Amino acid sequence: MIDIVLENWSPIVFIVVLLLNVLVAYWLYSMGNPEYKKTKYSGDPFISGNRSPKDVKKLHVAGDNLFWGFKKALKRYYDPLIDGHTGRLNDYMIWVVITLAVVLIYLYLVV
Amino acid sequence: MTLDIIIENSPTFILAIPLLFAFLTAVLGWVSEKIGEILFGIGLALTVFFVGVMSFEVLTAESWFYVFGAESPSPENITSFFRITFIADGFAVLATITISITAVAAGIYSYSFMKDESGLNKFYTLFLLTLAGVNGMVLTGDLFNLFVWFEVTSVASCALIAFKNYRGRSVEAALKYMVLSTVGGLVVLFSIGLLYGQHGVLNYALLREGIAGSFTFLDKLALGLLAVVFAMKASSVPMHMWAPDAYGEAPGSVTPFIAVTSLGSLFVLFRLFFGVFSVGLDVAILGSLLIVLGALSMIVGVSMALVQSDLKRLIAYLSVSQVGYMMTAIGVGLATLRSGEGFGDLAMQGGLFHMLNDGVYKALLFLSAVAVIHTTDIRSLNDLGGLAHKMPYTTFFFLFGALSIAGIPPTSGFSSKLLIYKSVYLYSPILAIIALVVSIITFAIVAKAFFNAFLGPDQSLMKRRISKPMLWGMGILTVVLIVFTLFPNVVVAEIVDPAVEGLIGSLEGGLP
Repeated sequence: MIDIVLENWSPIVFIVVLLLNVLVAYWLYSMGNPEYKKTKYSGDPFISGNRSPKDVKKLHVAGDNLFWGFKKALKRYYDPLIDGHTGRLNDYMIWVVITLAVVLIYLYLVV
Repeated sequence: MTLDIIIENSPTFILAIPLLFAFLTAVLGWVSEKIGEILFGIGLALTVFFVGVMSFEVLTAESWFYVFGAESPSPENITSFFRITFIADGFAVLATITISITAVAAGIYSYSFMKDESGLNKFYTLFLLTLAGVNGMVLTGDLFNLFVWFEVTSVASCALIAFKNYRGRSVEAALKYMVLSTVGGLVVLFSIGLLYGQHGVLNYALLREGIAGSFTFLDKLALGLLAVVFAMKASSVPMHMWAPDAYGEAPGSVTPFIAVTSLGSLFVLFRLFFGVFSVGLDVAILGSLLIVLGALSMIVGVSMALVQSDLKRLIAYLSVSQVGYMMTAIGVGLATLRSGEGFGDLAMQGGLFHMLNDGVYKALLFLSAVAVIHTTDIRSLNDLGGLAHKMPYTTFFFLFGALSIAGIPPTSGFSSKLLIYKSVYLYSPILAIIALVVSIITFAIVAKAFFNAFLGPDQSLMKRRISKPMLWGMGILTVVLIVFTLFPNVVVAEIVDPAVEGLIGSLEGGLP
């Protein structure tokens, strides 16, 4: 019988602690100014003091706007990686053949 | 008495029922699509019932061989080389449970998602054939029978991918899948020929005896060929490129089901490594092979996911990286079990628990992504946004799946990854660092996808509402994930440990 289990990890304890944190956060929130009144600008994003655009699409950060710095910094890694994913069936087969050759050579040499 | 017969024959019912109902659905579905729908539901429910029967017997009593064609399907009748055997052990239980959960969710989802398509009786037939094929792959104990189920799965799932044949991209993806599967099938057949020529048997157990006696160059060749084909079908890097095409272009409701056929190939790969080839050579060599392919899959999968803007392709690349976790963990288990280093068990637990988790949360992510695409007709993350305002349930489902795939506590994905980190660290700290970094990047990617699709101001992108069956399909997966999340120790003890024992037992001369 295998006796190794997930020792020292209890998701239920984690969730209880998480809920306690939520309660504390709510308590802090409830201590805020109850007389605050919403203005017509309440809830608008803060764009360095500029008026927020009326077109809601311009308020949202789209997919390609995220991690562009990461991709740019790793350009030398990403360029060949993306170029390798050509979408051509011939290339898919070539990779299978290459892997097959490497695995067989590995098994031939080490076994 | 009747109950005993049902239990004893449950492995064969798991295959016979979907095959029978696939036939009935195809034939009677011509009369009325409603009849086809009902037959599909009955076939799916009965298959899951027999998976439950087999699982209950294995987990509460014992594992057994099912020998076809014998007077009694008991282990002593295995001596005839031509008798096909099925292996009903903890490992097969884990595999069939994973497949069944996904199949039920995808099936319910399909009822509504596919209702506007024509020729639905063919769709249900193909679904049931794929279910039979992938269950057959993980249950069989015979190489030629494995080839048959491999082909059934390949042909049926290829037709499923191309089901919306008015979409050129679906047909292209299916063609690529078909060519790779056909070449893979021929390679498997060639390997079977090599092994049969050497040992004169096809049964895993008898083949293992033959290999233990003499492990020849041709055996080595067959091992390499089989390993590469099943790694390819499991979408391991660098043979993963078909997966984003197939997952991305298959009809949305069956995408997770196509993905689970890849997991089926991974189950077969592990079964062959542990149960058949482990006697012929140093298992550390086989383990190293899995570790290298696994580490590559983790890194390349997550790297490519980061640059995707198509929601389904993004999840497809993440699923490639998750396959890497499983291969690495099982590879570490295989490489260390005989060395007595003590953490092999832990790695196996982590790897197999992660397979169970992955089948469920990947399906949840795919189905919730499909719900987004279905309601908006938009796939690109550049054009989505604010859907949480109108799709609160889908938002929750996607978030839960995203947290699970990223391994964020307290989700079950964290529990299985914790086991993997701990064991892999003891084997090689560098591998553990790779696994951790990949998890962090995975979190960044799913956070981006969640933010892009669901958060921000409402952009009124919804063109149609999602139906209740679609919500139920996702809801079932979420409930299963919540159970896995709250009680990981119970899942590990009751489902994962018997699977680990099944694999380790096969390594040490038990059922193959």
